[in-house]
Amino acid sequence: MSELYDAAIIGAGPAGLRAAIELGKRGARVIIVDENPYPGGQLFKQIHKFFGSSVHLAGQRGFLIGQELMDSAKCLGVEFWLSSAVWGITDHTLAVLHEKNTHEIHAKKIILATGATENAISFSGSTLPGVLGAGALQTMVNLHRVSPGRRILIVGSGNVGLIVAYQMLQAGIQVAAVVEASDSIRGYGVHAAKLRRAGVPVLLRTTILAAAGRNRVETATLAHLDERQKLLPETAWQENVAAVAVAAGLTPLAELAWIRGCAFGNSAALGGFIPLHDADMKTSVEDFFIAGDIAGIEEASTAMEEGSMAGIAAAQELGFCSTEEKDREKKLIYQRLETLRSGSFGHIRQTEKIKIFTKMKGEFDEVRIDL
Amino acid sequence: MKCGLIYDGCLSQAETASVLPAAERFAKGPVAVIECIQDIPCNPCEKSCPHQAIIIGDNITAVPRLQADRCVGCGLCAAQCPGLAIFIVDASYSATEAVITLPYEYYPLPKEGDIVMGVSRSGAAVAKARVLKVRRETAAYGTILVSITVPKKFMHTIRSFRALREADKRIVCRCEEITETEIRLAVRQGANTVKDVKLATRAGMGACQGTSCRREISRIIAEETGASPEEILPPRFRMPVRPIPLAQLAAEEGKND
Repeated sequence: MSELYDAAIIGAGPAGLRAAIELGKRGARVIIVDENPYPGGQLFKQIHKFFGSSVHLAGQRGFLIGQELMDSAKCLGVEFWLSSAVWGITDHTLAVLHEKNTHEIHAKKIILATGATENAISFSGSTLPGVLGAGALQTMVNLHRVSPGRRILIVGSGNVGLIVAYQMLQAGIQVAAVVEASDSIRGYGVHAAKLRRAGVPVLLRTTILAAAGRNRVETATLAHLDERQKLLPETAWQENVAAVAVAAGLTPLAELAWIRGCAFGNSAALGGFIPLHDADMKTSVEDFFIAGDIAGIEEASTAMEEGSMAGIAAAQELGFCSTEEKDREKKLIYQRLETLRSGSFGHIRQTEKIKIFTKMKGEFDEVRIDL
Repeated sequence: MKCGLIYDGCLSQAETASVLPAAERFAKGPVAVIECIQDIPCNPCEKSCPHQAIIIGDNITAVPRLQADRCVGCGLCAAQCPGLAIFIVDASYSATEAVITLPYEYYPLPKEGDIVMGVSRSGAAVAKARVLKVRRETAAYGTILVSITVPKKFMHTIRSFRALREADKRIVCRCEEITETEIRLAVRQGANTVKDVKLATRAGMGACQGTSCRREISRIIAEETGASPEEILPPRFRMPVRPIPLAQLAAEEGKND
């Protein structure tokens, strides 16, 4: 029979790894489970340099940060189960498909750091091979080194769309354009500036109408929108592209939290329904923590801070660290999070997070799915 | 469409003016131009500077401020900026040329001495440039610094470069060796007659006096401006319409005396 772990972490991305490190270095027995064959979550395809504070790895490329986190977790004796999908949860037990069989993992604390999934959009031809998520394209090119074709289109000008477009250029793939339905660029201007210097147009108030081709994408039909976002069909034109990468935002992957009975809140700015949680990253369910994109779509640096917080809070409840130590660390973590959540890009997330914390205290109606 | 970083990904003229150090500073030698105007949480540039010339402070969403008198133009900030938004401009390089040092993350890397096409913030070809130096900083996690020489008047315009394309090498005016791209650039900068192009580029001012290139120049102007070819008039013709020895001119001069 399987043994009892102090903590089981689902998801070996930046949040899960940081949580594992904080628990591991305080002496907890930790297992981390991930459905992917490699740990690091999305970090290993991030070949660009991260923003943030230079005291916290800013300026370093994402995949190097992933390597560092993994090495530290492994040194601390954290157990890794990769290519292992958690498919069910009851109380303190996870059902895991591991090496072709279902195994149970029992743990005193469970930390859900499952991240997010890409939002798909539908248009004529959107099921053709060649229409894919921008993140998926990034994995395909940066990790598996498979080219989607000679020339591609990116839909969506958030940081994901802009960064993936730039990385396609670095891989020698032409980018016909980055199109954006709203009337300003959504991601960081400096990312857009790199594309513009390379001659890639960023087209605002523009949308994709259709993808077409025999057996796979060969063309994309685009058209402009007026200032009220109404389609202007007479402006339609075609681009010859082999792929259409959609960067239309992310949604937290929270199925296990729903099943476990967590109370949820909804925040459009944070990606939709997210489990309510407090500043310790504790959900409404005893012994059940969350961290990273599942707690609201942000970025790797905030995911790491939240992961540390969840790890330290769980360690304290397990008796591996004192309340004073936890409070001291928490103060530092929130100082850093506050900075990451400030400025015109971050302040909305700060406001929304506080709303989630407040809801957690029960001042607002909770959302539950009856099972 | 409105212009500015959030609308087209390029700094507007006003935004560009807001990030440029004073003109006197440029005359003194290389200096950083920090094209970072949004309040994003980031500060590696501040820490990278050995001369404390860049100030952000504890609130890392503050926009970096350059103390231009402290900056020596070493380029460490340009190599480390995750946004690739810092450029080093050296206006003191020569009387006619400036050096722009920019972060570069594409393969193949250029080689020193290569002639490339300098491009603007919007990727438009501006003028040919020469690669002066290709340098790898250890702290830059792979970002390469490439220094290119550009005509001084474009030192605030050129922000990247690309390899020369066929059209950049295709010569239209063979006497003066003026390429198709150079002519197109002149048209885009406002030269919409054959005469204007001639004045801007010297195309048509050589030994053949435009005999072989005139029609091509007209065609390119028509293409660029959308005018019909018959609207593009030839330049005003002047004597001598064929090359003649200077002595002949002198002899003619003598006859009139």
